[in-house]
Amino acid sequence: MLKEMLLPLAVVLVTLGILGACSTMESSYQLPASHPSAADLEEQPRNCTNCHDPQGENIPYERFVHGPYWADNHRQAAYQGERVCGLCHQTSYCNDCHAINVELKPSLKDQTGNTRRMPHRGDYLSRHRIDGRVDPTSCFRCHGNPKSAKTCASCHG
Amino acid sequence: MKERHLAVAEIWSVLSAVLIMLLALPVASPANEVNIQSDSIIRVFERDTSSGSDEAVVPGYEYLQLDIGSLTEEGLSFHLYGWGRHDFADNDFYDDSSAGELLYGYLEYTKSVSNLNVRLGRQSIFEGVANEAVDGMRFSTDLGNYITTSLYAGQPVGLDSTNGRSSDSIYGGRIALHKGMLGELGFSYKKTENDGDTAEEMAGVDISVFLPGGVSLYGRSVRNVETEGWAEHSYELDFSLGDFNFRPYYSMFKYEDYFATGANSVNPFKAMATTGEEIDLVGLDITWLESATWTFGGKFKYYDYDIADTNYYYSALVTWHGEGMTEIGGELGYMDGDLSKQTYLLTRLYGYWDGLGDALWVDFATADMVYASYDEDIYNQDYSFFSSLGVGKTFMDGALNIKFSGDYSADPYFDDDLRGMLNLTYKFDNSN
Repeated sequence: MLKEMLLPLAVVLVTLGILGACSTMESSYQLPASHPSAADLEEQPRNCTNCHDPQGENIPYERFVHGPYWADNHRQAAYQGERVCGLCHQTSYCNDCHAINVELKPSLKDQTGNTRRMPHRGDYLSRHRIDGRVDPTSCFRCHGNPKSAKTCASCHG
Repeated sequence: MKERHLAVAEIWSVLSAVLIMLLALPVASPANEVNIQSDSIIRVFERDTSSGSDEAVVPGYEYLQLDIGSLTEEGLSFHLYGWGRHDFADNDFYDDSSAGELLYGYLEYTKSVSNLNVRLGRQSIFEGVANEAVDGMRFSTDLGNYITTSLYAGQPVGLDSTNGRSSDSIYGGRIALHKGMLGELGFSYKKTENDGDTAEEMAGVDISVFLPGGVSLYGRSVRNVETEGWAEHSYELDFSLGDFNFRPYYSMFKYEDYFATGANSVNPFKAMATTGEEIDLVGLDITWLESATWTFGGKFKYYDYDIADTNYYYSALVTWHGEGMTEIGGELGYMDGDLSKQTYLLTRLYGYWDGLGDALWVDFATADMVYASYDEDIYNQDYSFFSSLGVGKTFMDGALNIKFSGDYSADPYFDDDLRGMLNLTYKFDNSN
């Protein structure tokens, strides 16, 4: 067992060493730790491009504008720009929807947060019978492994 | 049982290590900021249980988030988030009267000079082909001006209940080439093993290109290395004309490659991997930011299948923004299925009224109504009606927030369902 682990461990350590050494090189744009809060700004930031250049030199702010369909369409922006998401949102915010095991559906956990357009609002138990047939790939992204599919298991086995 | 004891022992080992490192934080970290957020939720509703009909179910939830260390500057920090639930009525509605999950708990080290980030512990990883919860380590850094890399390795949390955790592993990473205003090209890979056997192996490419005239191209393709086929191609354009924003997109998913994820695969998706189906999605989202007050939107989506018949989805929405968080909106959608059992009309109206503190005891009030009409009955009923009313008030300069909501639902599953929920949110933050 120990012998089997040695080679992968050595590869990981050498790779980390190389990456660690390279990380001292000059970097690209250094992101701040967080975006100023609404209290700092004295207003609720609604739209990135109200203050930032849409085609910013370092961050393409237009890509992160939270329009009315943002909840439907943010997947690719998050997969490429997770660090930008992290300026305003902690992982716990993402985990309301994208978590390995939660019992309360997102729209229920924050029932009064109804300005967020969430797909499961209302009686989704009935509607999912249709949406699931029409496009099961959208279900799979959040319910696609044994743990996150616990909510499906009581009916689907 | 022995495996369960081993898993518990592993958890205690990890927790002990984390606690020891946590105790070292005041020495190792230049900044000692603490953020705590607690969400305590009590729900009340009625269900038929093995104890009887219309039994009251009273689950209480606690969501706790803790962040300690250098939170607003580079350095070492610790982050934790999890939830627990106890059924106070304890009348067999739930399989277990108590449940919970540690969603993440990790040590993080950041260094701004190279956007260096190292995480150790349970964490969520969203990048490239990864949408995973991992017990392990993740390392990311810039390599000069144009390259960003990340690597992660550990055990997949999603498989911890599948034949135990022995010989379970996950590793992967992403390398991205980027040039500020031109775009980014990323290559990613992940491999998951369950009991030493390959459960899932995916490789992907993702791209963003910023073209002249404010036109952007985003997309990704994912290849299932195990089945040697393309699981997904998703590409979209994004451009604006005046106050209008357009997002045309195309996606393709091949079920035998997308859903075939080995030991990771679960019902009902496992069976879909064998159907030979493929879906092509073509759509267009249009947003009209008419003013700071009014927003309009329209959506069209066309679903084309290799085997099944086609579907269309159309929707339109309008939103009015007032002072503060005040917002009123509505949406109308229609799923036009080739079969009546795949056809429905969806209507939603909602309102959020902020800044009521001067006139009322509460700071905000909310109302929500969702109505769906089905072409074909579901359990002898052709509609669902859902409504919710809520109020909230803030105390202690925003540190304590109390919200109450009451819901009513009449739908194919529940005739007249009343539910109540009380939510107390407490925030402590010494970083400002």
